[in-house]
Amino acid sequence: MIAPPPPALRSPIRRLGVTDVSRVAVFAALVAVLGLPGGFTIVSSVPITAQTLGVMLAGAILGPWLGALSVTVLLALVAVGLPLLAGGRGGVGVFVGPSAGFLLGWIVGAIVIGLIVHAGARKPRLWRTFVGVLTGGILTIYAVGIPVQSAVTRLPLAETALTSLVFVPGDLMKAVIATGIVMTLVRAYPRGFRRVWPAKSAKGAEPDRAAVE
Amino acid sequence: MLSFYRPGDGWLHRMPSGPKAFLLFAFVLGVSLLPSAWWAAAATATATALVYLLAGVGGWRELSHQILIVRWPIAITVASQLLFLGPEQAVANTVRVVAAIVLAALLVLTTRVSALLDMIERGLRPMERLGLDSQRAALLLTVTLTTIPVLARLAGDVRDAQRARGGRSSLRSFTVPFLVVALKHADELGDALTARGIR
Repeated sequence: MIAPPPPALRSPIRRLGVTDVSRVAVFAALVAVLGLPGGFTIVSSVPITAQTLGVMLAGAILGPWLGALSVTVLLALVAVGLPLLAGGRGGVGVFVGPSAGFLLGWIVGAIVIGLIVHAGARKPRLWRTFVGVLTGGILTIYAVGIPVQSAVTRLPLAETALTSLVFVPGDLMKAVIATGIVMTLVRAYPRGFRRVWPAKSAKGAEPDRAAVE
Repeated sequence: MLSFYRPGDGWLHRMPSGPKAFLLFAFVLGVSLLPSAWWAAAATATATALVYLLAGVGGWRELSHQILIVRWPIAITVASQLLFLGPEQAVANTVRVVAAIVLAALLVLTTRVSALLDMIERGLRPMERLGLDSQRAALLLTVTLTTIPVLARLAGDVRDAQRARGGRSSLRSFTVPFLVVALKHADELGDALTARGIR
């Protein structure tokens, strides 16, 4: 393990260690793979995909900043011309299209999810995970996406919001699934989070956090 | 890996990536500012078609291919616009949105992924004063690029294993093992980077 530099030498943006680089890269790739053809589509041939599920998982497992970074990395690769969004979409075109705001919302959403799921550096609980995934993975993404879509298509805000309701059932399903997956992971593979959670009895004790986060 | 890049030697291909990005961005911005009227839609469609024909990227074929890629967003846009705004605005707004998307696509059609990645690294360099490490950012992008095919293969392995056991396949029963395999791969990847002297 590399000892962290003294606070005085630390830059405002923490330098990423190799562990962070590989975890961020793997989650960016995971979101991409969840959108690949032959991958998982909840309803076949309709553009509802598992990619927002990947965004929810990135925020919930990597935490706010690394989760947001992994989504940003994926979007950067999309921007330079890789067809990594569901349905083989990609290129800078998607960032001037109607869904541009939803993609930027993924980044903000991952931050919100991470902040809520890991609030107080405590172990993720079922209700807190679900609230985090709903707030960050649906509300936040819509809150960024709908105004941008309205501006791009010039359809008034209320009508745009109304048409976005089509996607709510699918997104709710993904939120439920994401919560289930995170809770399973907490029990079955807690080291995947790379965090040390305070013991249940040690209420109010200073949490002993893992060196990586 | 597959990308949208189409090899060629037209004037857009030969243009350096920075000025090209700027030019196309200006073009997209110009199109986006046009009013929602019949004449604007006609002008936009004509200009976009002309650019595709003259850019040496394959003309009509490439243009129709690019439009086909965004057929779902177009369908949703047209439907909601017709429902709420009427034909003139629906057509003009849809043409404008599609034109912006396909014009922006010209950047990745005529520039190699590596050139665009270089552009990002150069663009991030001024941010180093804020403590951002542009080389680390480039490393992150490259590592991700090589990780995507690996994870795609791992996803296939997980799916095959489930099929072999005759298990029912749902999004959840797939994602849990896939996630564990992916997280283990991340650990191995970290070790491999460390072994190559990257800290």
